[in-house]
Amino acid sequence: MNIVAEFFVVSLKVVWAFILAGAKWLIRPREKSVAGQVCVITGAGSGLGRLFAKEFARRGATLVLWDINRQGNEETAEMVRQIYRDMSVSKEGKYISLKPHDGVQDVPLIQPQVFTYYCDVSKRESVYSTAEKVRREVGNIDILINNAGVVSGHHLLECPDELIERTMMVNCHAHFWTSKAFLPKMLELNHGHIVTVASSLGLFTTAGVEDYCASKFGAIGFHESLSHELKAADKDGIKMTLVCPFLVDTGMFKGCKIRKEMAPFFPPLKPEYCVKEAMRAILTDQPMVCTPRAMYMVTFMKTVLPFDAIVCMYRFIGADKCMYPFLAHRKESMNNNEAKSGM
Amino acid sequence: MDLKIWGCAVLFPVQILYCILKASVRWLLPCKRKDLGAEVVLITGGGRGIGRHLAKEFAKQGAKKVILWGRTEKCLKETCEEISMTGTECHYFVCDVGNREEVYQQAKVVREKVGDVTILINNAAVVHGKSLMNSDDDALLKTQHINTLGQFWTTKAFLPRMLELCNGHVVCINSILSLSSIPGAIDYCTSKASSFAFMESLTLGLLDCPGVGCTTVLPFHTDTEMFQGMRVRFPQLFPPLNPEIVAQRTVDAVRTNTAFVVLPWTMHILVILKSFLPQSALEEIYKFSGSYTCMNTFKGRT
Repeated sequence: MNIVAEFFVVSLKVVWAFILAGAKWLIRPREKSVAGQVCVITGAGSGLGRLFAKEFARRGATLVLWDINRQGNEETAEMVRQIYRDMSVSKEGKYISLKPHDGVQDVPLIQPQVFTYYCDVSKRESVYSTAEKVRREVGNIDILINNAGVVSGHHLLECPDELIERTMMVNCHAHFWTSKAFLPKMLELNHGHIVTVASSLGLFTTAGVEDYCASKFGAIGFHESLSHELKAADKDGIKMTLVCPFLVDTGMFKGCKIRKEMAPFFPPLKPEYCVKEAMRAILTDQPMVCTPRAMYMVTFMKTVLPFDAIVCMYRFIGADKCMYPFLAHRKESMNNNEAKSGM
Repeated sequence: MDLKIWGCAVLFPVQILYCILKASVRWLLPCKRKDLGAEVVLITGGGRGIGRHLAKEFAKQGAKKVILWGRTEKCLKETCEEISMTGTECHYFVCDVGNREEVYQQAKVVREKVGDVTILINNAAVVHGKSLMNSDDDALLKTQHINTLGQFWTTKAFLPRMLELCNGHVVCINSILSLSSIPGAIDYCTSKASSFAFMESLTLGLLDCPGVGCTTVLPFHTDTEMFQGMRVRFPQLFPPLNPEIVAQRTVDAVRTNTAFVVLPWTMHILVILKSFLPQSALEEIYKFSGSYTCMNTFKGRT
C-alpha cells in the first residue's frame, strides 16, 4: 500500500481510538460475565489478592488460590466458600449444590468451587508443578491474576542481597513462570485474560525503594511486551489488563507518608475501592487502570517535563522521600524482632 | 506553617517554569563541564559494542584510569591494548556481572590493584530476542541477572566508597525499549525497564549527596553486534545510532551531570505519545512503524 495512504489510515484509526476511549468514558461498556470461568490468583492469602478472590467469587467464578502462606490462603478460601453458600441461598434454583450421590449432570450451571495450592511463585519449579496440578485437578484456566508481591524495606546499600533477589523474583520473574505455564493453552484456544497487579511505583519511582521500583517497572515492561506480542500474533481473544494502584492501605508500606499538607489530596487507597476499580477494568477488558485517576496525570507530566522540574514536583508533593519513614519504621520493627519473616 | 505551604504553592509553578527554561537554555548554550583528569572509570561489558567506544571516549577525554570488565578475555585484551596505546592507564578483569560473588570479589581486586572507582558505567547487557513462549527459561533469567541484578551488585560494590569520597558518578547505558516495549524481546524489555527504575530511584535518592551523580542513557537501536539483524521500517527517519555517537553523548552527559539522555531526541515524542494514547491507538502506531516486525529478522550476537 502507498505509504501516504497507510499513514492516513493509521491517523484515522488513532482518532477513532480516541473517540472510542471517550465514548467508553461516558457510557460504561457492559461487564463480561465470569461465571463458571476458572480464575487463578497468586498471593491470594492476604491484601488485594484476597479481595480479588472475593470479588470473583461474587461473580460466580471458580477460584484457584495460590499463596505461600497456607493459613491465609485457607482463610480466603473459607470466605469464598461462604460467598458461594450465600449465593446459592439467595439465588435458589440457579445454583444447585451438587451432592456426590445425586449424579445430576443436567444442572445448567456449574457450582463454582474453590481450590487452594501452596506455591512459592519465585521458584520456577514450584510454579510449573503447581500449574500442572491445577491443570489436572481443575482443568483449563481462563483468568490469571499475577498479584503476589513483596517489599524488602531496606535502603539499597543496607539491603541483604538475598532480599533484593527475592523482591525481583516474586514481583517480576514470577510473571514469566506463571504466564509461561498457562499461556500455551490460552493461545491454543485464543481465549483468556492475564491481569498484572503492579503499582504506581511501576510508572514512576521514589527514593529508597530501588528494588521494589525495579521489580514493578519490570513487571510492567513484561506486561506491555507480552500484550504487544499477543497483538502481533493476532491473538485478540487473550486480554491483558494492567492494574496500577497508588499506595494501598494494606499495611505493606506502613509508615510511608507524603508531605503533610498534600496528604489530603493523595490519601492512601482503600483496598476495597482499588479492587472495585480494578474489577471494573478487568471485566470491560480495559488495557490499563490507574487508581486514583490523578496518576495518569503524574505519568504524563513525567514524560513531558525535564528531570529538574520533575524533581521540583516531587519535592513539592513530598513524594521523593516518602518511603523513608516506611524504611525507618521497618528497621525499627526489625530491631524489635516484630517483623514477620518472609514479608 | 500555613504561610509556608502557601509560599511553596505559589513558588511551585515558578520553579517548574524556571526548570523548563533552564533545560531549554542548556540545549542552546554550552555549560560547564567536569574535568575527568582524576577519574577512575570502570566499564562493565567494556570489551565490545558501546562499552568499547565508551572506553576509548573516556580515554580521549582525559580520564586517569580506565578499567574494563567483561566475560570474554580476548575482546577485553584487544580494547585494553588499544587504549594503552593512546597513553591512558588501562586494566581489564574478567567478570560476569550476573554473578554476585564474582562482582564483589572482582570489585575487591580492583580496589586493591587499581584504586577507588569514581565513575561506574553499567553497560553490560545481553539480549535473547525471542517471544515469551519461544524463550528458554534459563535464557530469560540470564538476561535478568546480567541486565538488572548485575547493576545492583556493581552499584552496591562501588557506591559506598563514592559516598565516602563525595565524588562519584553512576552511569547506566539503558535502552529506549525500557520505556516502550516491543514484542519479540520480552526478556530485554523487562530487564531494561527494571534497570531504568533502579536508576531513577537511585538518582532521586542521591540528589542530596554532594558530588555523587547519576546518568541514564536511553539510546535507540544502536548499530552494534548485539542487535544485529533488527530492522526498523523507516531507516531514513530513524537510522540506527552510531555507537561512537552514543559514547560521546554519554561522556558529555557525565561531564555536565545530566540525569537522563534520550538518543535521538525524536524518541521523546514516542515516550510522550505512549503516556497519553489509548492502547489501541498505540498498537496501530506500533504496527505502522514496524515495531511489531522489527525483531523478526533479529540475529543477535552469534
